[in-house]
Amino acid sequence: MPASLKILVIDDDQDFRASLRSLLESHGYMVLEADSGREGLRKVVEQTPDIIVLDIVMECDSEGYGVNQAIKYQDAYADYRNIPIVMTSSIDLSPDERFPMAGDLDMIRPDFYLTKPLDIPKFLEVLRRAAALCPSHGGA
Amino acid sequence: MDTYLTQPGQEKSRTSEPAEQETIVVIDDDYAMRLSCRKILSKMGFRVETFEDGGQGLEGVTKLKPSLAVVDLKMPGISGMELVTRIHEVRPETVVVVITGYPTVDTAVGAMKCGAYDFLPKPFSPDELRLIVNRGLEHHRLSVEMQRSEMERALLKRRFITFVSHQLQTPLVAVHQYLDVLKQLDSMESAAKRQEWLDRCLKRTEELQALIKDWLSLARIEGESFSRQWVKVDLQGVIAEILKTYEEMAAANGVCLESRIPDDTYFVVGDRNCLSVIFDNLIVNAIKYNKPNGKVTVSADALGGEVAIAVADTGVGIPEKYRPFLFEEFFRVERDETRKTPGTGLGLSICRKLVSEMGGSISVDSEVNVGSTFRVRLLEYRARAEEEEKKGSSR
Repeated sequence: MPASLKILVIDDDQDFRASLRSLLESHGYMVLEADSGREGLRKVVEQTPDIIVLDIVMECDSEGYGVNQAIKYQDAYADYRNIPIVMTSSIDLSPDERFPMAGDLDMIRPDFYLTKPLDIPKFLEVLRRAAALCPSHGGA
Repeated sequence: MDTYLTQPGQEKSRTSEPAEQETIVVIDDDYAMRLSCRKILSKMGFRVETFEDGGQGLEGVTKLKPSLAVVDLKMPGISGMELVTRIHEVRPETVVVVITGYPTVDTAVGAMKCGAYDFLPKPFSPDELRLIVNRGLEHHRLSVEMQRSEMERALLKRRFITFVSHQLQTPLVAVHQYLDVLKQLDSMESAAKRQEWLDRCLKRTEELQALIKDWLSLARIEGESFSRQWVKVDLQGVIAEILKTYEEMAAANGVCLESRIPDDTYFVVGDRNCLSVIFDNLIVNAIKYNKPNGKVTVSADALGGEVAIAVADTGVGIPEKYRPFLFEEFFRVERDETRKTPGTGLGLSICRKLVSEMGGSISVDSEVNVGSTFRVRLLEYRARAEEEEKKGSSR
């Protein structure tokens, strides 16, 4: 049941997290928050979320790519590799469209990408699709 | 991979690499010529590689990426002119000096047209070779440097635009998201959140307004469309007014404000509004980055025709590694204690611009967890007046 899914929101904007929390809770999700990439990775290990909503730009830097790369490629996070990641940013092109020439494209390619502010129906739909990929909820 | 803004420290490291030994390639079919060129140039401290025909020479240039190539025009195989053209194609950065035993104006012009930098007729003295090589290398260094700084500027500009638009988007996104979610929540849930969220929306829009205001004033200072009136200003008058404005804010932060500047003592020549903007920024910073029960002290001192105004706080301080970048646009010190403090990252760059416009300077002393002191030095009114007078009487 999607109602029990744990969603980790990694975003350095406390207001963005606050509104997302209410929205997600009202749809029956459980919400975890992290305000930086480092904190986010810590919570991934400690609490094993089902889905990650990841902001790309935090503290003036593209920290989100680092988080994505760590989870998808680093051995330390091998157990969490299959957690679907929904990347968000206020730039209206997804990273793989923005950097078609990038050699390390795979590292920045998100499972899902949404532009901020989030279109709520679209966001909820993406979460349902992400939930279908969850190893813990029917995806595996 | 693109990032929005590399930390200033990371950018700098590239330029401080130790200078590598420069490579020079000599392409000439004459053995004696190759030998003597090698001897002269090696002595000058360069790495020298020689080739006896155009084909090998071109390969050498491609592989060795020399700063400079000395090319004989008359060789079997690829002609010298063609070789110069090809070198210019495969490695436009390499400066080509042409040597020939049949010097005519036509060959010289032809070689230049193919992309050669200079022309040396045979026979030549070692001094002539040294001179022309040094000049060629200087040209090479300058063009490499120019190319690099142009690329950096373009990159910086692109980053700056992305960064600014992100800075403007972030508060808007937060507000939009609040309002949108508020609409979606059922009435009971939204009633519980409404007040708090609307307050946050107001705060974020204020933040955005502050950012736009700062950014515009920065653009205006740069565009010099800011009208100024240069008058005699009593510093204590300016400072007292600002301190009064921020009494409430200081009290809310548990910070005590004090001016030690006596009335009618320190006068400078400047624009009153500019002076207000400068000390407004410095005093607000001193309050914002202070600690509970902290203090902000403004004092002045006259020294050698200058007035030094110090705004001292007892706050979190600024780690040394950040200080060189403090006055840069959008630079904000990344520290856990100050992450939640709102700021546009433009205040100090505005200060620096205005201070330097008035012919003054601004500097900072700081100790982490003890406090920071910002010092603005401006020409004292009396000194300025005397200077004017001297100018007047000598006329």
